[in-house]
This record gives sequence, C-alpha cells and structure tokens, in this order.
Amino acid sequence: MSVSVLIVDDSPIARKMLKRALPPDWDITIQEASDGAQAIDIYRQGSVELMFLDLTMPNIDGYGVLEVLQAEGLNCIVIVVSADVQPQARERVLAMGAIAFIPKPVNPEGLQEVLRQYGILV
Amino acid sequence: MIKGLNEDQTAALQELANIGMGQAGNSLARIWKEFVHLSIPRIAMVDASRLPDLILGFVGDTAVSASRQAFHGGFRGEVLVVVTAKDRNGLAQLMGFEGQLDAAEREEVLLDIVNILGGACVGGIAQQVSAEIGFSAPSLIGEDLDPLDVINPEQLAIDTALSLEVCFQVENRSLTAHLVILLPNNEVGALADLLDQFLCTL
Amino acid sequence: MNDQHNTLLADFIVERLELGVFAVDAQFNIVLWNRFMHTHSGKSAQSLKGSNLFTTFPELPESWLKRKIESVFELGNYAFTSWEQRAYLFRFKHNRPITGGVEAMLQNCTFLPLKDEKGKVEFVVITLQDCTDNALIQQRLAEAITISDEERRKQQELIVKLEDAKNQLFQSEKLASIGQLAAGVAHEINNPIGFVNSNLGTLERNVTDLMKLMAVFESKEAELPEAAQQELRKIKKDIDFEYVKEDLADLINESKEGLGHVRRIVADLKDFSRVDQSGWQIADLEKCIDTTLNVVSNEIRYKATVVKEYGHPPLVECIPGQINQVLMNLVVNASQAFPERGQITLRTGEEGMYVWIEVQDDGVGIPPENLQRIFEPFFTTKPVGTGTGLGLSVCYNIVRKHEGELTVRSEVGKGSCFRILLPIFHGKMGESEELEAALSVPQ
Repeated sequence: MSVSVLIVDDSPIARKMLKRALPPDWDITIQEASDGAQAIDIYRQGSVELMFLDLTMPNIDGYGVLEVLQAEGLNCIVIVVSADVQPQARERVLAMGAIAFIPKPVNPEGLQEVLRQYGILV
Repeated sequence: MIKGLNEDQTAALQELANIGMGQAGNSLARIWKEFVHLSIPRIAMVDASRLPDLILGFVGDTAVSASRQAFHGGFRGEVLVVVTAKDRNGLAQLMGFEGQLDAAEREEVLLDIVNILGGACVGGIAQQVSAEIGFSAPSLIGEDLDPLDVINPEQLAIDTALSLEVCFQVENRSLTAHLVILLPNNEVGALADLLDQFLCTL
Repeated sequence: MNDQHNTLLADFIVERLELGVFAVDAQFNIVLWNRFMHTHSGKSAQSLKGSNLFTTFPELPESWLKRKIESVFELGNYAFTSWEQRAYLFRFKHNRPITGGVEAMLQNCTFLPLKDEKGKVEFVVITLQDCTDNALIQQRLAEAITISDEERRKQQELIVKLEDAKNQLFQSEKLASIGQLAAGVAHEINNPIGFVNSNLGTLERNVTDLMKLMAVFESKEAELPEAAQQELRKIKKDIDFEYVKEDLADLINESKEGLGHVRRIVADLKDFSRVDQSGWQIADLEKCIDTTLNVVSNEIRYKATVVKEYGHPPLVECIPGQINQVLMNLVVNASQAFPERGQITLRTGEEGMYVWIEVQDDGVGIPPENLQRIFEPFFTTKPVGTGTGLGLSVCYNIVRKHEGELTVRSEVGKGSCFRILLPIFHGKMGESEELEAALSVPQ
C-alpha cells in the first residue's frame, strides 16, 4: 500500500533535492506544498501519513505548522528537514512533535536510517 | 531573476546558499556555543558603484569593522564580514577571550570570523555543486569604518558583482555579523555552469 | 612520475622546504616534524615522535592554540594566523644574526585539515612561514608613510600660513593704494579749495564794502532829480535789487558752508589715508625703499628685476609715510614701463645738504611732449578707467612739501629715470597760511 507523503518547502529545488534522496524503490504517493498554509490544508484533508517539513518558509513557517498539527492531534509523522542545523533548532522541533530532524543537504543514507529507525521503512 | 542566471539557476543558488549559510551558522553556534539567528539569504546582481550603498543597506548607519577573504577554484570571489562596532566586546567573549581585547586580538577575531563563515558558507555551496575551492589568508579591511567606506568602487576590478548576503545574529550578546559573498560578473558564468550540472542531478 | 616518485617528492618537499611543517592529532600529539622545525627548535623528529605538543613546548600559548586547532578539527576548514596580529607561534631565533632589527622570527601560519576517506579530520597540519624580511620592509614602509604624511601635513600648514600672509599683504597693498589715492585726491583738492576759500573771504569783504557804499548812495537818492530817481527806481525794479541784496548774503554764506563741507570731506579723506602732517621723523631712506619694495613685491615680481645701488647717504628729516607713497608710485610706474620684463634700478646718494633717490627703468620711455605735462594733475597716458592721473602730481606735491624736487629724464626706447631730491633738514613750514589751515586736520 502506497505511503502518502507530503513534502513541504517553499523552494522547488529543495523539494527536488529531497525527492532525489528518497529510497528508490519506496512505494509512495507524493504531494507537495510550498508554504505552511497549503501544508495545513492538505493535512486537514486527512490524506497525509508522512510529512517532510522545512522550517524557514514565509508566512506560516515550519514551527507554525507543527503548532497547528500538535493542536489538532498530530495525525501524521513529521520529519523536519532544514538547513538551520543548530542543536537548539533540533531540540525545539522534537519537543513540538517532530519525530526526527534531518539536516540539509539531505544524505540518502541518513534518511534511510531515520526511516528504518521509526519503522516507516522496513 | 538574477541577471546572468536563469530562473532555475537562481532558484538553485537560493537553496544552496540557504544550505551553505545554515552550515555556517551551525559552525558559529558550535564555536560560540550560542544560538545564532540566520536571516534568509539575499541574492542580487549589483553595479560595482552601488556596492557601498548595498553594504550601508545591510548594516545600517553605524560604525563597523570589516574583514575579507578570497576564494578560488570552481568559482572565484571574495567574502566580506561586516560587524557593527558596538558588538566588538560581545564578539571577544564569544571567541573565548576574557576582558578587553587589545588591537591585535581584535584583528585576529575579525580574521577568524571571516575565515570560519567564509569557509563554511562558500565551502558548503562548493560541496553541493561538486566544485573544488581553496581559500587565501584573510585580511583586515579596517575598524571603526563608515559602512560606505568598506568597499571602494574606484579600486574594484569589476563592473558588476553577484552578491549573497546573510545576517547572523547572536541572541544573548546582541551581536550582528553580516556575511557578504561577492562574485565578479565574469565568474557568474562558471557558477551558472556548476548550477546547471547540479540541476541535472535532480 | 609514478606513485613512488610522488611519495618521494612529497617527502622531499615536506622535509627540505624552507618552511616549517608539522602535524598533530586530535590529542595534540606530534605526528610530523620537518627539518625546518628541527633546526629552529633544536628538537629532532625522532625525539618528538608521539609526544604532546604542549608538554614539549610549554612556552606555546596553549589555550589559544588548542582552540584554534580544535576549530579546524571541528569545522574541517583552513585557518590562518598572520605576524601582523600575532608575531610568532614558536619563538625561534630570527635569520638576521648580524643585521638584526627584530627580536624573534616573525611567522605566518596555516592550519590545514587532513581528512580521512569519510571526510573526518584526522590530523591538522601546520605550516610556519618566516616573514621576518618582508615584515621589516613593511614596517619601514609604514614608518616612511607616516613621516611623509607628517611632512605633508606640515606643508599644508605652511601653505595656509603663506596664504594668510599673502592675503594680509594684499589687503595692506590695497589699503596702501587707496590711501595713496585718497592722499592724492586730498592734496589735489586742497589747493583749489584753498584758493576758493581765500577768494570767498575777499569776496565777502568786498561785498560788505559795496553794500556800505550802496547804503550811502541809497540815503542820497532823495537828493537826486526826479528823472534820475525814476531811472534808478526802474533799474532797481528790473534787476530786482531788494532780492539781489538779500540773496548776495545768502549766496556767500551758502558758498562758505559748501566749502566747509568740502573741507570736511577732504579731512575725512586725509584721515583715511592717514597722512600725518605732524609726522616729521629722522629716517633712513634706504630702509624706506626696502620697506616699499616689500610692499609692492607681489605686484612687480613678474614684471621687473630690482637692482639696488645704494650710496648710503645720511639720514633725512621727512614724513616717511609720504616718502614711501612717492617711492611706491614711482616703482609701480616703472614696472609698468616694460612690455614684458625689465630692470628697475634704485640708487641713493648725497649732494651737499641734500639726499637723492633715483628710480630708473629700462622700459619704453616717455615721449618729450608728455614729459612736460607728466606732473600735471589728472594727466595720464593710461586708458580711460585705469589710474587716476593723480599719482605723479601727488608725488610732486609731497616732494615739494618737503622742500625737495622731483625731476625726470627720459628717452623713448631706452627708459626713464625719476629723481627725488630731499633736504636733509626740514626748513620752515609750507606756502600760504590759508593752505596750511586747510591742510591741517584735527587728528
């Protein structure tokens, strides 16, 4: 069964880079959102199982999305993917409900590790 | 869109700069053991004659200290770091010095910062596009300068430059350092090629 | 070159280059130490293998250097130090045992990360470059620049001072020439004013006398025959005699008032030119000439060379300010006699009870028909608007007032020579008493 994935990042290049780093044979359906508001809309439609979330976005940023998701029951797995790789950023998003923090540029092996660790990939 | 780069190349550069600046901020945070705010990188193509105004626009009307470092290889250019003067003492504490710094120590700190930031940021971008980059020793531009005096357009060897700027802000010590990466317009082509190669891999 | 050669070459370069090369691991143990480091530290690579950098060299700035090396391990980028901020890493003896000039070797250092296959920094290699010679040159250059800047600053100050002095001189010249003009005008007007004043006085007396006579005639009018009386009445009516009688007095009074006004103007002018009538002094005429030459030097410098042939005559009783004015006039005139440049010769000498000064130029000369009129007031050969034509007549009067003589001889194409003759001792006061009264100004 295809995993429903949402990639949230305002940079189309970043979204492409993430897609490139995903495990090649993974059975997934990908949706994309270019800002927090769009991401929340798609989430609320109830079709997202795994969300890759960027932090720095205009209007509603990654932290904003996490807040909404937390308030609304956090019905999907959130992995934050960000260039802001400071320890404090990592701590903050984990406290807000993300299960993992992956630094940019995304390392395919590192990504697979995380997915396996949390049982998303077998 | 930036003159000399097409839409895709500009988008790629924006994201790569984002990543590079993030790595630079991370380097600083590890050295300084403080949280560092990063602004979103600003990219622009600027006439050499407007560079002083650009710097003024970045830092505001206040006395600054500045240092620079050149890089070469896959693409060539220079990195500037501009620090507001009132932050000098905060800077010293962050770099692990106690009390007041003498002139030599202050200079050393400014040179270390441009070396760290330049290395992380330019190095980060270079790594992404698989370019080999080397760095020259950093040098001091000056202390207690008027922002308009940081760059002297008369002495420049170029007409236009590609500018990438990010502002690093340390919360607790209210320190602000602006990193400006400048590429002469005749190097933009080399960068564009590297960006194209990178885009092909996506 | 194959791999073996490459390795040999690399080893050779590291060992033999005139550059310090050493390396440490993450615990700061020394893993590489080249010949340069050996010869300068006195410690061989053999003896140092595996030992801790800071234990072996306790004089190193430990906390700073540890942090520097750690940042390279951490960030994986190059780092640098420069002698300009940090004179040296290791205190080695410098390479100028004879020539000296510096305490210890000045060094630039580079810190290079040596990474393993995974990209993790395994060792940090440090290079040490001897910059002593360049540093000394740079320092000397900086000193020379400072000195040169200081010189330039002093020069600027001097230039400003010279500008000031020049302006002051210019001002005093302007004043001097205005004073000259004022003095000249005052002098020129005083003569005619004196005459008019004197004549007015006489006129007033004459009119009073005439009126006396008229009064007598009028009292006898009734004794005349009627025809004669009628004729007299007619004439009186025709000429409006009553009005004329009144008017005469008014006319004379107004004229006297007008003259008084003019004399006040003259007094003001004389005040302005500061011609001191009572300023008789014993003066050295050669000093007067020198002073005057100073004052006009700017004006004549591009036109004339001045030659002095001083005869060192005795001191003279005169009014030095006035004599200076005469000299200034003559010298400036002489400088204007040349189409391009020329020579002005100033001579002094004595002759009996007199002292003379000659102002000679080798300029265009004065034509004979002008020569006769040259001391006439308002006579000028200059174009309209330039000069007042008073200069030489004023000079003439001043010299005459000194009971001296101003003469000229000239030849067209050869030049002119003006000669001032002054009595050594000042004699009785000047011309008519009226004139004196007109000239003496309350100070």
